[in-house]
Amino acid sequence: MVGPIYIIAIALGTAFSLGFFKKANSNFSFAFMLFAMAFMTFISGQWLYAFLTQQQETIQIFTAGFKPPFSISLQMGLHESVFLSLINIIGLLAAIYLYDQFREKGVQMMMVFVLLFMGLNVVIMTRDIFNLFVFLEIASIATAGLIILDKSINATSAGFKYIIATAIISGILLIGIIAIYYFAGSLFINDIIKLNLIYVKGGAVAVFLVLIAIILELKPFPANGWALDVYEAAHPGIGAIISAASASAGIFVLAKILPIVGDSGYYIIGLIGIITFLGSNLLGLKQDKANRLLGYSSIGQIGLLLTIIGLTPYLGDKTLFIAFGVLISHALAKAGLFWLAGIVNSEYIKGWAAIRRNPLLLVLMGTFIFALVGFPPFPSFFAKWELIMQLANNDKIIWLALILIGSFIEGIYLFRWFGYAIKEKNEDLPEFPIKLNKVIPVSIVAAGLYLIGYYTGLAIPEAAIINYIPLLFIVIIFALDFLPAYVKNSISIIGLAYYSYTIIPAYFENDMLRFIFVVIFLVGGILTFIAGYAYKGKRRGFYPVALIMYVGLVQIIQAENLLQFFFGWELMTAGSYFLIIRGKKSMAHALSYMLFSMGGAYLILAGFALAQQGQMSLSLDVLSSLSNNVFIIISLLMIGFLTKTATLGLHIWLPGAHGEAESDVSPMVSAILLKAGVFGLIILLTSTIKNIETVSIVYILGWLGAITALIGNLGAAFQEDAKRLLAYSSIGQLGYIVFGLAMMTHLGWLTAFTYTINHFMYKAILFLTIGAVVLRVGTHNMYEMGGLIKKMPFAFIAVLIGIIALAGVPPLSGFTGKWLLYNAVILKGWYFQGAIAFFAGIIAFLYLFKLISSIFLGQLKDNHRNVKEISIWFIIPIYILIIGLMIFAAKPELILQPMGDIIAQYFPDGRLNWDGGLATTPIGNWHGTHIMIIIGVMFMLLLTWLVVLSRKAQKVKQFNIVYSGERPFTPETTHISYNIFAGYNKALGFLVMPWITNFWNFMSDIIHDTAGFVRRIYSGNGQTYLAHIIIYIVVVYFVFFN
Amino acid sequence: MVKNSLIFIVLIGFAVLLADLFVGFNGNTDLNTLANHYAVSGPEEVGSANLVTAVVVTYRGLDTLGEVTILFLAAAIVSFLLKVEAGASLNRKLRSTSEILDTASRILVPVIFLFGIYVFINGHLSPGGGFQGGAIIASGLVLMLLAQPAKEVGHKLITLVESISGISFVLIGVAGVLFAAGFLDNKLLSLGKFGTIFSAGVIPIIYIFVGLKVGAELSGIITNLHENQNEA
Amino acid sequence: MENLNLEIITLITGVILVLIGIWGLLTQKNLIKIVIGFTLFDTGIHIIMVSIGYVKNRTAPIIDQSVNINDVGNSVVDPVPQALVLTAIVIGLGVTALMLTYVLKMYQKRKSLEINNYNDLKW
Repeated sequence: MVGPIYIIAIALGTAFSLGFFKKANSNFSFAFMLFAMAFMTFISGQWLYAFLTQQQETIQIFTAGFKPPFSISLQMGLHESVFLSLINIIGLLAAIYLYDQFREKGVQMMMVFVLLFMGLNVVIMTRDIFNLFVFLEIASIATAGLIILDKSINATSAGFKYIIATAIISGILLIGIIAIYYFAGSLFINDIIKLNLIYVKGGAVAVFLVLIAIILELKPFPANGWALDVYEAAHPGIGAIISAASASAGIFVLAKILPIVGDSGYYIIGLIGIITFLGSNLLGLKQDKANRLLGYSSIGQIGLLLTIIGLTPYLGDKTLFIAFGVLISHALAKAGLFWLAGIVNSEYIKGWAAIRRNPLLLVLMGTFIFALVGFPPFPSFFAKWELIMQLANNDKIIWLALILIGSFIEGIYLFRWFGYAIKEKNEDLPEFPIKLNKVIPVSIVAAGLYLIGYYTGLAIPEAAIINYIPLLFIVIIFALDFLPAYVKNSISIIGLAYYSYTIIPAYFENDMLRFIFVVIFLVGGILTFIAGYAYKGKRRGFYPVALIMYVGLVQIIQAENLLQFFFGWELMTAGSYFLIIRGKKSMAHALSYMLFSMGGAYLILAGFALAQQGQMSLSLDVLSSLSNNVFIIISLLMIGFLTKTATLGLHIWLPGAHGEAESDVSPMVSAILLKAGVFGLIILLTSTIKNIETVSIVYILGWLGAITALIGNLGAAFQEDAKRLLAYSSIGQLGYIVFGLAMMTHLGWLTAFTYTINHFMYKAILFLTIGAVVLRVGTHNMYEMGGLIKKMPFAFIAVLIGIIALAGVPPLSGFTGKWLLYNAVILKGWYFQGAIAFFAGIIAFLYLFKLISSIFLGQLKDNHRNVKEISIWFIIPIYILIIGLMIFAAKPELILQPMGDIIAQYFPDGRLNWDGGLATTPIGNWHGTHIMIIIGVMFMLLLTWLVVLSRKAQKVKQFNIVYSGERPFTPETTHISYNIFAGYNKALGFLVMPWITNFWNFMSDIIHDTAGFVRRIYSGNGQTYLAHIIIYIVVVYFVFFN
Repeated sequence: MVKNSLIFIVLIGFAVLLADLFVGFNGNTDLNTLANHYAVSGPEEVGSANLVTAVVVTYRGLDTLGEVTILFLAAAIVSFLLKVEAGASLNRKLRSTSEILDTASRILVPVIFLFGIYVFINGHLSPGGGFQGGAIIASGLVLMLLAQPAKEVGHKLITLVESISGISFVLIGVAGVLFAAGFLDNKLLSLGKFGTIFSAGVIPIIYIFVGLKVGAELSGIITNLHENQNEA
Repeated sequence: MENLNLEIITLITGVILVLIGIWGLLTQKNLIKIVIGFTLFDTGIHIIMVSIGYVKNRTAPIIDQSVNINDVGNSVVDPVPQALVLTAIVIGLGVTALMLTYVLKMYQKRKSLEINNYNDLKW
């Protein structure tokens, strides 16, 4: 193997020789430099390979022919090789990326570049503390040189701030090192460690100076203004190097000198880390410039790494895994984002809307954002999981909470930014050139993230059983994105059908509960995909993300352990986020959906972590054997799941998200997606049924459910937008489901299940139909529609059946649910809550009437004179669902009877008795088939009677009415159903005032204002930054050392 | 004023920190083990009469390589930043210098150069070495430029010296790996007779290259700064 | 004056230089003066380094007529800090050269040496 010393030799030799080519062919000098970088990568890579596969032992490299401490020695071990490989690969890619700059700026910058990486390499390998100082200086000076790559005034002044700040820091380091030499009589790190200088008077101060200098190199909040300016002003290609490569080396150095500090160092580092993580991310919130935002995020991530290092005593042998996962995600994703910044070339994050001119770049950006936030399947997801689990196991709840809060804040600005990229208007943004040498490095790091993520997952036994084949299928679909929509639609349907075929039968045999949900998810998925045939063109990006959601949903069902469940949950969140943001005005709604989902997911994560605490297992069964913190765990998990069911207080994301979504997406995210929350609740409640704490929690849950039903329905009644009406209606319906579950009785649960199935079917029918109508008429506003009954009879019938079912009027299955609900409430004795739920049911009539009357009845609008029936591709799934609805209405026992058996496992008392089709409770009975027949006969009789009666009626055409020469310009004022419930609004409107939205806005304002205030410490004055550094040293010294 | 008093308080805090650091310092009465090894075995192992040189060039040779690299980096960055873009000449206006300075410098500069070379060739025997010698050479250049501001110094020559001496330094280091016990091993050549010019293994050779390189680098920095100056 | 040994005097001098340097760095508004502040700070550190390697009543670590070749261990001061300070001085020189170059460039672009005039990047 090629010895590590050749890294130095090659780099220096190259840098020195480059001088020969000063004015000569710059392509040749570039190739020369690239070769050197490649060779350095090769050396480190082969050592990494040897350590991973051939049980290579750590080796020491002596220089000058003497052993340490007399000479400087280097060390090459597994950890060194990992870091070297990471840094050198980034260096190689960065060199390729910077090709144009190097060619333009000449040979000096190439020298500086190679030497920067040589410096970082030696910094990692060296075991001599003064040598460490020298090569840190090389790295700093080289960085200062690269900062001024474009020679602008801002870059130069940032470079000056950088160089003067690092000069002070290394001065401090030097004082520390010389003092350590005085106390230890050696500069060899291994010798120094043995001496425990921390217990020597003065020695402790010396060690402190070295430690604080290394920490300051890592840019702790708030003594990091100089670094932020650099990130903003330097070329993004350089920002990538500082953020990814230099910071990784810095972290390694900290780990290297940590043994000198001893155990007392952990606490300081942890505290500094968490302050940096929280502070930096908080200030990032107000940032609207892309490069500087990346700077804040970089510093935040390094803060998280410091925190992890500081928590080593609690993380034990997991520390390395966690730190590796976070670091690799940070390094690759941040390098990728900086590089993208150089391609997009937009100063402000709003300008990133330009990036979607190239879908590949947008996908890459999404990869990096999700990797940074810690979504599956990226390494950071598994690392974060382990981190949270270990913290819970060691009772470090405050640390756990702070880390989750910091991650959440980071998610806010990252997803806001990503939202701009996907949705902000981009018509007048400049186009940017796309060069292959820039795109390739970005693609490689993205691919690396997926690959390493997969292998990190394998390292955790609970994650190793995750089935990656569906994800592979998605990758294939993504690769086929250039095909027309109908082809991908067919492939997706086939995929889901095959998926259903492989897993559904087994659930039907063994697990009726999961069967119901998996049918809703997969069959629902297939049906909504059928509607996709109505779309022309390519529908870029739609199929992969929709499938991600479905795969995530199925993973939740299939999950055997908490990690798998969480994996599926996050996958589902990611997929649905993309689905939602596809809608026309969905940017803000998708962000709010993502924030509630992330908040919910973190609560679930915390709940899981506390639940598995002390149980030595991650199986889902741990939820049923909770012993400590039971109240907190159940509350955390419940709130987490309620974010997905959009229960009151956590519902504000839903109306916009569902209302603005595409026509076939609305049913996906409404009829299907919301059931994930229901499933979560069911898992939680069935597991904790015996815990005494559940009783009080479900009591609150019951009230929440009932009030949610009322508020949701009221909100729906006052909508003028058809899809928002349906969205509010979903909130109300989910309120019923939650209410039913909260009763914790046999009938209550049966109610909840009935509502779950019903809501799936009629909300899918209604959203599909209304969506299809919207596609035809081009507006969501009901007052701009009317009289469509003759144009779209199939749509009318579908909506009619949908609202009959939803209203709970016999004979359709909504009545089944309502009948069960009444029985359950009466038997449970929840009269007050029940009354609210009943009242909500009445309000449902209001909005349902409004829905059908304003769209289909009344006057046909002038511009709709030529609209056609809704697309056949919508009619097919709609009528399939209608058939299902009819069967469920006529033969409810087919499903409810086996369901009852399942529920009886948990609630054996108060069962519904079945006698053929006749259901009996202690207070009454009902027969689905009979009711269906009776109502059917009555309906036919009445219809015949009406037809006979109105045989002679004169048909009045619309234009029989005279407008007196006036043409109405405001459609809403001439539509009968506009503001039709104004009276109710006066009476009950206060209930639907946006109190809750205002509350969340208020919270958001407070956080943003704080960030805006605090970030003024970064005055831009280099001298102030220096003062920060000195003050930081003094303050940390007096806080920790006296 | 508030700001200055704050800074004053912070400085006092920093002073306390340094006081804590050195409060136990009372001078050394003896060498520590490491230094003692260098002092006692150094002459034998390395063959250099100047022990500091033995430490700088051999025992801690990698540091020295780093040091040279830092100067190289600084020179490269300065030359990059101050490069006068083609076509955009600075239109320099320079004051003429006095006759005395001019004449004196013509005599002194070669002597200074010679002295610099003497210092780095004898780096292993007497005080001095590559860095000191290089600095002396560069100071000669400063004198020259002060006396004759309009003089153009050949960048090509500087670069050539810089590169060749740098590469040679690295090659000597690598030769140590190949033919002796490690990178920058001194025993690549025989140690010779202690205390003579041709002794101490490769140290004199390395120091010649270091001297040339440092001289070239510093000269490069100075000429670059000089060419950007514009006295009116 | 018995306690005030040579090395203590130089050490204190070094520390004072460091403090003066920091004071200059934090209070001077002129970029050149800030750089001077840095060089004072740096020089202070170098003096501290040399003081730490001093051994009472001994000579420089160069074996010549004044040093008994058989008793080097008891007649010279510690060569290590001297070697280190050489390295540190060179590094300091490089850094100072860079600082001055950056200042020169900034001045060329904006014709000002006031550090307060370079606050464009902030928050």
